[in-house]
Amino acid sequence: MTVMTYARAINRALAEELERDADVFIMGQDVGAFGGAFGVTRGLQERFGRRRVFDTPISENFLVGGGVGAALTGLRPVVELQYADFIAVAMDEIYNKAAKWRYMHGGLFSVPLVIRAPGGLAGGAGPEHSQSPEGLLLSAAGLHVVTPSTPADALGLLKSAVRSSNPVVYIEHKGLYGLKGEVPDGEHLIPIGVADVKREGTDVTIVAWTSMVHRALAAAETLAAEGIQVEVVDPRGVRPLDTDTILASVQKTGRLIVSHEAPAPGGAASEVAAYVAEHALDYLAAPIQRVCGADIPIPQSSDLEQYAIPSVDDLIRACRSALSYR
Amino acid sequence: MATRDTYRGLYTGMLRVATWEQRLLRMIEEGRTSGFYHAGRGQEATAVGATMPLRRDDYLLYDHRGMGHAITKGVPIDRLFSDFLGFREGTTGGLGAGIVHIAWPEAGVLGQSGTLGGSFPIAAGAGLSALYRGTDQVVLCFFGDGASNRGTFHESANVAALWNLPVIWLCENNGYAVSVPTAEAISVAQISQRAIAYDMPGTTVDGMDPIAVYDAVSAAVERARAGGGPSLIEAMTYRYRGHYEGDPQTYRTREERDEWEAKDPLVMFPRRLIDEGYADEQWIEATRISVSEEIEAAAATALQGSKPPVSRIFDNVYA
Ligand SMILES: Cc1ncc(C[n+]2csc(CCOP(=O)(O)OP(=O)(O)O)c2C)c(N)n1
Repeated sequence: MTVMTYARAINRALAEELERDADVFIMGQDVGAFGGAFGVTRGLQERFGRRRVFDTPISENFLVGGGVGAALTGLRPVVELQYADFIAVAMDEIYNKAAKWRYMHGGLFSVPLVIRAPGGLAGGAGPEHSQSPEGLLLSAAGLHVVTPSTPADALGLLKSAVRSSNPVVYIEHKGLYGLKGEVPDGEHLIPIGVADVKREGTDVTIVAWTSMVHRALAAAETLAAEGIQVEVVDPRGVRPLDTDTILASVQKTGRLIVSHEAPAPGGAASEVAAYVAEHALDYLAAPIQRVCGADIPIPQSSDLEQYAIPSVDDLIRACRSALSYR
Repeated sequence: MATRDTYRGLYTGMLRVATWEQRLLRMIEEGRTSGFYHAGRGQEATAVGATMPLRRDDYLLYDHRGMGHAITKGVPIDRLFSDFLGFREGTTGGLGAGIVHIAWPEAGVLGQSGTLGGSFPIAAGAGLSALYRGTDQVVLCFFGDGASNRGTFHESANVAALWNLPVIWLCENNGYAVSVPTAEAISVAQISQRAIAYDMPGTTVDGMDPIAVYDAVSAAVERARAGGGPSLIEAMTYRYRGHYEGDPQTYRTREERDEWEAKDPLVMFPRRLIDEGYADEQWIEATRISVSEEIEAAAATALQGSKPPVSRIFDNVYA
């Protein structure tokens, strides 16, 4: 094990995959000599050359669509959108091309493309540079969407994404770049679509993604002092969704809270809530609660933006309310 | 340079495409397949003339107008019928066609983007891929005058020119995007003028003349293969049928259609073959017969196909 940051783990995954497979290349804005807007691709161009790691113009439709074209013709592109919000800029390329090209062309092609997209609050980045847009892709059949919350997951999920024959949107959280954690040495792969129980508990389940995993763990820690055992499940993505792990947890605890930075409407939390209501209603001792971002655009101010996403206290309150429900 | 074989090949190619379509239209009339088809009658000189210069391993992104590009590039015509009939023998294994997503990777046919202009970035990406892999493959990307207005063209043309990508942008300017005439939608007199903005060659050719199209595309292919980068070619053409089958066509006049029908490549080009000594009446007649037989045989083969089981809809979502 080595302790490294989340950003460093992403960088390591990219370096290892570039090293392993000559068909892998990276393109995006400022990913070359500059090393990426958040420094995540630092050193890669120097090490692998301008043919393998290169800058593109500000052309998100080309970035993703060009990635699709290269993937259809035998390569494994990793493209970087500078902010996950720009998924909306390249939506036709993501939703209609990357996701559907294989299906609509009768399975004659595969699309081994990775789209890296930094999401989440970053300290005053404002309404168009702070979103967690994974909900927009919930209905994108043909696509996988993964969301690492720890350095080890960031490494293992990205390496699996690069090796996948399917298009994968890899949403990394900007606010977690500096987070340090233990990362296995040597080859580390995490299968796509498998949730991870980040903390075991028996009284209430919190299903949470990226930054909210850490807030859920903090809430669990506080509640543990009161004898309340919270289980924290990180689905590590939204498509596919590991419903088995979620159901098993809810069947054990009988209480469910679902939490992400994005607002509840159209988000993955709503999908989880609906699924559990369909399949495990009899196990529920309290109503499902979605503890999600406020249903507003994210304010620019770095003070105010914090009120647009759930806090540790919000999660603690939700757990208490679930436990006192009768 | 076009040789006798080129002339004859272009004629045979155009005839195959037009006869194939005629047979498809009969299937539509018989109610065997949907009318979502966008007929290419009238535009054969462009589709065939532009696709013939390609090698089998070159890439094609075609568009919705007719099937001339895909047929010329080598999609087997019986499988093409099967696609429209919704039979499992089709290239998409029974998913069906109308707005077409036929592909044939072994002949470089990468498919079609149903959202207009979605092919531009993919074509640029395929060009980037050829360059990355160090091959001398080229990419031919078809689009209409209407699709030329998508912003994706700007992004893709810019990178193609910037990185010298081996892409030929082939605009079939048939004067209309559904009902809207080009003069009401395009800021320039000719779409080829837009090439100037990207510092790539741009030419407008007579899209009713297969030799003119063939020569222009051959030059662009040669240039792209040699590392000279992309070209924009605009072929002036006309569709004789509606935008889709059943289009009331209230937006254009009979006179205008007559004027263009007088340039019908399937009437004019065989005359030219004879006048210029590339073929005689007997060859023309023999070709007509053999093409009809080929198409009829393909249709007969296709009609023996069968629909897929309903479970087909769940296949191929993921690799
Ligand atoms: C992005 C997008 N907008 C609109 C349409 C609907 N549509 C399909 S064909 C067409 C007209 C296209 O005109 P043009 O590109 O000139 O090609 P033509 O049909 O004349 O061959 C339209 C509006 C579409 N498929 N995709």
